[in-house]
Amino acid sequence: MSIAHLSDTTFQHWNIQIDEQKIVWAYLDKQGEAVNTLAEAVLAELEQIISVLEAETPHGFVLMSAKASGFAMGADIREFEAYTEAAEVAEKIAHGHALFNRLEALPCMTVAAIEGFCLGGGLELALCCDYRIAKATASTRIGLPEVRLGIYPGLGGSARLTRLIGGIKAMELMLSARMLRAPVAKQYGIVDELVGEHQSLYWTARRAINKRRRGRRSVLAKLTNSGVSRPLIARFLRKETAKKARKAHYPAPFVLIDNWVAHGGSFERMAQAEIDSVSTLMVSDTARGLRRVFRLSEQLKEQGKKVTTDVKRVHVIGAGVMGGDIAAWCTLQGMDVTLQDRELKFIEPALQRAEKLFKKRLKKKHKVVAALNRLRADVDGRGVQQADVVIEAIFEDADVKRALYQTIEPLMKSDAILATNTSAIPLEQLATCLAEPSRLIGLHFFNPVAQMPLVEVVQGEQSQQIVIDRGAAFCNQINKFPIVVKSSPGFLVNRALAPYMKAALELHQTGLSKEVIDEAALRFGMPMGPIELADVVGLDVCMHVMETLSDDLPAEAHAQLSQMISSGKLGKKSGEGFYQWQSGKAVKPEISNEQQDWDGLAAQLIQPMLATCQAALDEGVVSDAGLLDAGIVFGTGFAPFTGGPLHYQQQTVTHDESGRSA
Amino acid sequence: MNAVKQIRPVCIVGGARIPFCRSNTAYSELSNLDMLARSLQGLSARFDLKGQKIDEVIAGAVVTHSRDWNLAREAVLSTDLSPLTPGITLQQACGTSLQSALLSAAKIASGQIECAIAGGSDTTSDAPIVLSDRLRKRLLTLNKARHWKQKLSAFKGFSLRELAPQPPSVAEPRTHLGMGDHCELMAKEWGITREEQDQLALASHQKLLSAYEEGFLDEMIVACEGVVRDNNLRADISLETLSALKPSFDRSATGTLTAGNSTPLTDGSAAVLLASEAWAKERGLPIQAYLTHYETSAVDFVAGDGLLMAPTVAVSNMLNRAGLSLQSFDYYEIHEAFAAQVLCTLKAWDDDAYCRKYLQRDVPMGLIDHEKLNVKGSSLATGHPFAATGARVLSNLSTLLATTQGERGLISVCTAGGMGVSAILET
Repeated sequence: MSIAHLSDTTFQHWNIQIDEQKIVWAYLDKQGEAVNTLAEAVLAELEQIISVLEAETPHGFVLMSAKASGFAMGADIREFEAYTEAAEVAEKIAHGHALFNRLEALPCMTVAAIEGFCLGGGLELALCCDYRIAKATASTRIGLPEVRLGIYPGLGGSARLTRLIGGIKAMELMLSARMLRAPVAKQYGIVDELVGEHQSLYWTARRAINKRRRGRRSVLAKLTNSGVSRPLIARFLRKETAKKARKAHYPAPFVLIDNWVAHGGSFERMAQAEIDSVSTLMVSDTARGLRRVFRLSEQLKEQGKKVTTDVKRVHVIGAGVMGGDIAAWCTLQGMDVTLQDRELKFIEPALQRAEKLFKKRLKKKHKVVAALNRLRADVDGRGVQQADVVIEAIFEDADVKRALYQTIEPLMKSDAILATNTSAIPLEQLATCLAEPSRLIGLHFFNPVAQMPLVEVVQGEQSQQIVIDRGAAFCNQINKFPIVVKSSPGFLVNRALAPYMKAALELHQTGLSKEVIDEAALRFGMPMGPIELADVVGLDVCMHVMETLSDDLPAEAHAQLSQMISSGKLGKKSGEGFYQWQSGKAVKPEISNEQQDWDGLAAQLIQPMLATCQAALDEGVVSDAGLLDAGIVFGTGFAPFTGGPLHYQQQTVTHDESGRSA
Repeated sequence: MNAVKQIRPVCIVGGARIPFCRSNTAYSELSNLDMLARSLQGLSARFDLKGQKIDEVIAGAVVTHSRDWNLAREAVLSTDLSPLTPGITLQQACGTSLQSALLSAAKIASGQIECAIAGGSDTTSDAPIVLSDRLRKRLLTLNKARHWKQKLSAFKGFSLRELAPQPPSVAEPRTHLGMGDHCELMAKEWGITREEQDQLALASHQKLLSAYEEGFLDEMIVACEGVVRDNNLRADISLETLSALKPSFDRSATGTLTAGNSTPLTDGSAAVLLASEAWAKERGLPIQAYLTHYETSAVDFVAGDGLLMAPTVAVSNMLNRAGLSLQSFDYYEIHEAFAAQVLCTLKAWDDDAYCRKYLQRDVPMGLIDHEKLNVKGSSLATGHPFAATGARVLSNLSTLLATTQGERGLISVCTAGGMGVSAILET
């Protein structure tokens, strides 16, 4: 086939245009999908195109996207599920490597023109081009976040990126899974030229080809890949990575570092190591679990896509820790927020915390100021009338809440959502005072609001489905995962955590040290041990939650907890609980090197939680096992690589059975 | 000859603008092109104009870079409006976007076009800084020079002083006085007190604040850079804080203009959609008001007339033509470049001698009901990005008429160079 025929050929996923200069423009447009992925079918067609360009050299070859959502999100992770053997994966990956090498070897100038998401395989494809241009719009994100899926870049990315920008920057990017904005990607040396908001990718690409532009390669970057520097840098990388992930749970980043140390001096060997390692990682339980969680997180978001909302104004009543932080978070997400409490002095601490959050997240002074202007103290409650969402986060007293609802309901816009952040009082009891009880839903945030990605959207018996859908859509809008739960004691997350902490307190009563208990949980893969978690949540809150769940502690544990609370030891917030807290961290002595049955201990902690999750599912608190797993992972940090509690339990049962039958 | 058959009504469909921000604050990194494009895009989103060809977009900026020579067209290309939409860049100082609307209105009335967008943008944060005239001429000579001898001669008599960059100035080129200095002169001539000015400024902030709180601006405002309200608006302003400010122009005890009762340098943009009735109805778009009369005028400020008094003339002539009295309006939108400017204008209309001499009226035009003046706040509170103000005022008044069943509103905008632009909206 000649180039002239290429534009007549109909591809399913590529739109090919040839201009008068004989530049071939390939627009990626994955059929039937909103976002581009490098599915096998996409790559198969790319192979056809490349074969033509190998036979007849064009003036230039440009890869772009025809979709508004971006360049390409990476491989289609659904396709990985089909493989159970590393060898099968290795074969596929090797094929991809060969194709990408052919693209890189094309004699004409090749350009990747990027706008929107260019992640994972998408960036690996772009890295094969001679020149990369990126549009500096707010939506552009460039990165290799594969470690989040328990693997590392497998289409030549680890070899090409380290070669291009050097080991330090490349490894940092891959290990952190960061997604860079266009100007930062330019600073990193990944992107060769930025295209301004008012300029066009098309004409910039054309100019780059006609002027035969080449990116600058830094000599320093090359030095970082030398045999002398690699082991030194790796030592640092290993240390930093170990702070964030345990090797036993998340092997991929460590394998990546090892491979770079061993092979970083040679592109070919680094690429071969990639094929070998990524294929093994791909079929591991960890990668499977993480892919499941990723898929489920998409499912959580789906709950918020049933209706579209455009919430502009949020009014939060109650400027305590939760109310204040919810208000700050909504503000950070671009909303106009009013924060109400009885007196200004109760609101001021929340505003100060908000300022800290804005400074940390927004960095630029004018953005911080703009955010502070969006968050207004509102003692008189003037914001109620204009708000699209009103969130009540006052103390847990049903009478006071009802009285409040009665005063604000007549003032609210007719279609505004009324939500309570209560974690203890059934919605049905609170809704009785409303003229329109069906409008009340729960939006249960977790502490610390800025870090916890989940919000429980609580459906009382009286809550109307459309309001629930809009509540979930609001969560999407503020970049939280919604999970719709039935109004029942503890909802999902607290209900699941209570037996976990209870088990820990019971074990502690038997004389086991709190450090050992927490370590067992960490070894299992929890982000924090149960005793430390109790301190962070606050012992008074823990007690309250357990009482709500009428899940009584044994008498001794109950007495100990009450005694600590009455003597003012409330946990992290008071500076002392089970642990001493210094500058936000628990003081932990080294654990003596005694032998422990860590697995058995972890099972004692985890099993009650698993049982509760199953019970919650059986009772229909959450509609679906997958959603429940995702909710527990994002709500409690439950070891994500397990794929969630129910999945984990099922796997363990299966493993045991297969073990027995063997 | 195929003459124009009849004059058609001109509809104001509505406007959109980004919140205005004091200079060197939230928009310090934005250019006029960035800002104008965002208001146009906001308008497109508000009225679902994606992919639609608008017959013309007329817009401009006062403080502008030479690179923005095709500002209106470039801004169109950065929106989802059809790229077949022509853009015309136009400038009449602070009257820019109002004048843009008037030009398009005339074309709609005469049937030349069916729809148009008028807009404006200004930034003093991204102001151009230019080379001195001498250096610039040397560089141009150098560019034309062919041999080294000519090149060398381009730098004959060069002095280091020429390297000093020339910042833009908002002073009047012919008087070398700033706008505030001129207005201070007017305040003295008309005996406008500091208290009156501060009172007007206070009212402007209070009225804008309640406009925001009651949601009056919701449809018009397009959030930009995380800003959702004009950041010049002070919710906590009081007469005490205003009266504590020192005079800004005449710094002696006789000065009355302060930073509180004058508009600050402001960044921002605004746009408004105009259309024939048929075009608007075809698309199911609202008709907020009709633009029925308009007038532009100038005064001989170089000979000593008050620089910002031209709107008195424009309004007077326009009312004569329309056969209306100054009192026949539900609302007055008198752009508050300075509180003193508004107060001088109102006083002049009620002044027998002034009306005789400058407006050729035997009887003064009289007073207006202050309750009807700038009821949703004006430039003292929103700030005043020169070229954007006209479009802001237009969409403010048309929204006001549409939401209150008002019948008629008056617009008056003063501009640099001793000019004034006025208009009447009716429902």
